[in-house]
Amino acid sequence: MTTLTHLVLAFAALLPTAGGVEAPPPAKLLNVVATTPDLAALARAIGGAAVDVKALAKPTEDPHFVDAKPSLVVTLNRADMLIEGGAELEMGWLPPLLESARNDRIAAGSPGRVSASTGIRMLEVPTSFDRSKGDVHSMGNPHFLLDPVNVRLVVTQIAQHMAQVDPASAALFRDNLKNFLATLEVKAAAWQKELEPFRGAKIVTYHKDFVYLAERYKLEVAETLEPKPGIEPSPIHLAAVIGTMRAQKVRVILVQPFQNRKTAETVARQTDAVVLDMPQQPGVKPNTATYFDLMDSLVHTLATALQEKK
Amino acid sequence: MMHVDFDVAWQVMKWPLAACLVLPPLLVYLGLHVVKREVIFVDLALAQLATLGTCVALILGYSFSDRISFWISLAVTFAGAALFSWSRNSERQHVPQEAIIGITFVVAAAGVILLLSRVAGGKEELEHLLTGDILNVTARDVGQRAAIFVVLAGFFGAFHRHFALISEDAKAAAATGLRVRLWDFLFYAAFAVVVVFFVRVAGVLLTFAYLIVPAVCSVMLARTWKSRLLVGWAIAALSSLVGLYASFAMDFPTGAAIVCACGLALVLVTIGVSFRQGKLV
Ligand SMILES: [Zn+2]
Repeated sequence: MTTLTHLVLAFAALLPTAGGVEAPPPAKLLNVVATTPDLAALARAIGGAAVDVKALAKPTEDPHFVDAKPSLVVTLNRADMLIEGGAELEMGWLPPLLESARNDRIAAGSPGRVSASTGIRMLEVPTSFDRSKGDVHSMGNPHFLLDPVNVRLVVTQIAQHMAQVDPASAALFRDNLKNFLATLEVKAAAWQKELEPFRGAKIVTYHKDFVYLAERYKLEVAETLEPKPGIEPSPIHLAAVIGTMRAQKVRVILVQPFQNRKTAETVARQTDAVVLDMPQQPGVKPNTATYFDLMDSLVHTLATALQEKK
Repeated sequence: MMHVDFDVAWQVMKWPLAACLVLPPLLVYLGLHVVKREVIFVDLALAQLATLGTCVALILGYSFSDRISFWISLAVTFAGAALFSWSRNSERQHVPQEAIIGITFVVAAAGVILLLSRVAGGKEELEHLLTGDILNVTARDVGQRAAIFVVLAGFFGAFHRHFALISEDAKAAAATGLRVRLWDFLFYAAFAVVVVFFVRVAGVLLTFAYLIVPAVCSVMLARTWKSRLLVGWAIAALSSLVGLYASFAMDFPTGAAIVCACGLALVLVTIGVSFRQGKLV
């Protein structure tokens, strides 16, 4: 049942970008394209009525691997602004699309191009890099938006770039930014409070995609089901994970929609753990269209599970 | 339909369109040989070997675009070509060549899965290798392949009589004193080069579709090598246009849309031919 609801909602979230029946936006709106829905949600919050925002990846798609389709090239071709996660998050799919789209407005270095990772204190930056070992996090961990402090930097940067590209709406962007940061302060305090009782709690994730959340709220990622970021779980590695989880009494496994839930469930059966659906993209779960709603939902889901499994 | 002006559509689709119109003719010609020889799946096996070679390069730490991974891919595919030209001439062992081709395919496919399980995003990579990335083909990709295919077309054109004779009746060809084994190896080697180049932009599925579907259609519709080649090319071009249009209009993955358009073409031709022969009336 919940899976069905998720699917329906995921489809509903997709409709506006699916290129179906949508009418072209009024010409004066700034065309903003974000690589992922979470960045798109931030752009919407800052751009408000002055922008039309589209995301290239679906909320249920792995941001490291997005399928190329003509609509993506068209969307990039018409963009006034492109917001990417950066730190090689989109390395596997964005460059060829950009080459096909041939759009100088969003070329690297121009005001129309925002790389969200700029200025972020990256975690897990590898000291040495060996591609043959397989690693989709070669510039550090690019899943940094679940830390409110990082979001502060990202939205500020988005607002600056929007004002540069569309000076006429600069005041609107400044006001929206101010409101966003004020709400963020209140919300961040609430999230901190809700997760405070679980300081030091251990979690297992499928991919290394919750490390910033863990760092902010002092949780510990005991293991990941993937032996290395981007590498499929192998039997030997899963056996080791099960061992660790039993020894350290880890009782929650966090998965996103594009990850293999069955693998997580297999491990959970062996360890009396619970598998939590924790999509980092807005719109997958009901009422999570904005960053604040999404974080509310994630923090609450996690806190509830940690409480029950204590 | 997406609301886009023709300029944008043209800008996005022009190089995929060029690739789908300019590059298939040589594949259609090879397809006619393959249909004659009844070794339909040789292309699928060679394409899978090309992919296996690419995966070997990936696991060694090279990237898809490194020149060395092209050469590794070609070397592995050549090994397959040698195997196929050898196995065709070992009839005494009572092993049908199609069995060897099929086994090569599944082992290569499984090898790809094994190797990619150690590569970051292996599952997605596997899908990309299967369906290709014809949408993001560049002017350079098309130009380079067109140049190489013209040279190879010259080679096949110059020795067409030998190749046709061997494909139609290998025993008769041997009786005329032709060195069948050598020509067979040359045939499969050139074939391997075409497949390796094509697979890298179009993926395994589209390469196979271009090779087989137009050839099978043209065998039903025409008699001589020349007319079959022209009919096959026309069918490849039409399927490409339909597939590219559907991909753009309905936002389908481009390669898969063209493969389905090829399938549709085969159905229509089959129905048309049956009508003409009065089988359906
Ligand atoms: Zn990642």
